[in-house]
Amino acid sequence: MVTMGPMGSTADSHGAAAAVDSAAALAYQPHVDLWVEEGDVVIVADMPGARAESIDVSFADGVLSLHARVAARELPGRHLRQEYGIGDFRRSFRLGEGFDATGITAVFRLGVLTVRVPKVSGVRPRKVAVQGD
Amino acid sequence: MRTTRSRCAHPLDELCAEVDRLWTSLIAAPPLHGWGSAPRSGFPAVNIRETDDALWVEAEIPGLSAADVDVSVDGDELVLTGQRQAAGPTAPAVEPGADGRAAVWHRRERGHGSFERRLALPVRVAADGVEARLVDGVLTIRCPKAPECQPRRVTVSEA
Repeated sequence: MVTMGPMGSTADSHGAAAAVDSAAALAYQPHVDLWVEEGDVVIVADMPGARAESIDVSFADGVLSLHARVAARELPGRHLRQEYGIGDFRRSFRLGEGFDATGITAVFRLGVLTVRVPKVSGVRPRKVAVQGD
Repeated sequence: MRTTRSRCAHPLDELCAEVDRLWTSLIAAPPLHGWGSAPRSGFPAVNIRETDDALWVEAEIPGLSAADVDVSVDGDELVLTGQRQAAGPTAPAVEPGADGRAAVWHRRERGHGSFERRLALPVRVAADGVEARLVDGVLTIRCPKAPECQPRRVTVSEA
């Protein structure tokens, strides 16, 4: 598995794995935009309240996984209105084969994560001739 | 004459199992952010809290910088306005399955465009003292209550 830091540098997330799993019940799926351009997959995910250093982007077996740990934040006082909950963001996408895991880039800015998964260069649709007897 | 086919796999059994599997994975998945018990009344979603001396409003506006959002007090309403740019290809939408070289949308869940959210304030606030801070897509606003709306401690004097 290739685990990448927010700016594409490799990072070891094992230390935080236990804490992540215990908080799994609080996870939300982020809203995303996803499109394919020139064969590259681009995913834009809303992750308000996350920090660049607390986001893991990994790609294994054709599945891209996004996980942002979101620190608890609580305003003072008593509730008057609550329209959203606060928790981690998790979502994964089955992209299939033909992508360059080492070329994945991820940028986090203003609470929005943008991930680009490049197509393996050189992989082109190849037509196979079928021969008869 | 009645025939019994119960021992044979019905062609629809496979479909039935697949629907079961899909349904199970669907209800096991974490909820989409913002889909909670509270009904959504507009964008952005807000959480509001109250202390003795202030109202605290938090709103999630990912993708906006401080210059993209305005916070104002209009009478007894707090008004949030702003605009979010659309991400991704803006050329005429190309349906999936078209030529692979063109940009093809697969998911488009993030809203864009301009918004205005007016929140009725339960107490009068000191408009001059309202402060707003935007960090990583989370807007936090502190609205100090008007002096006449704050609790006042009365000193009890002995006769």
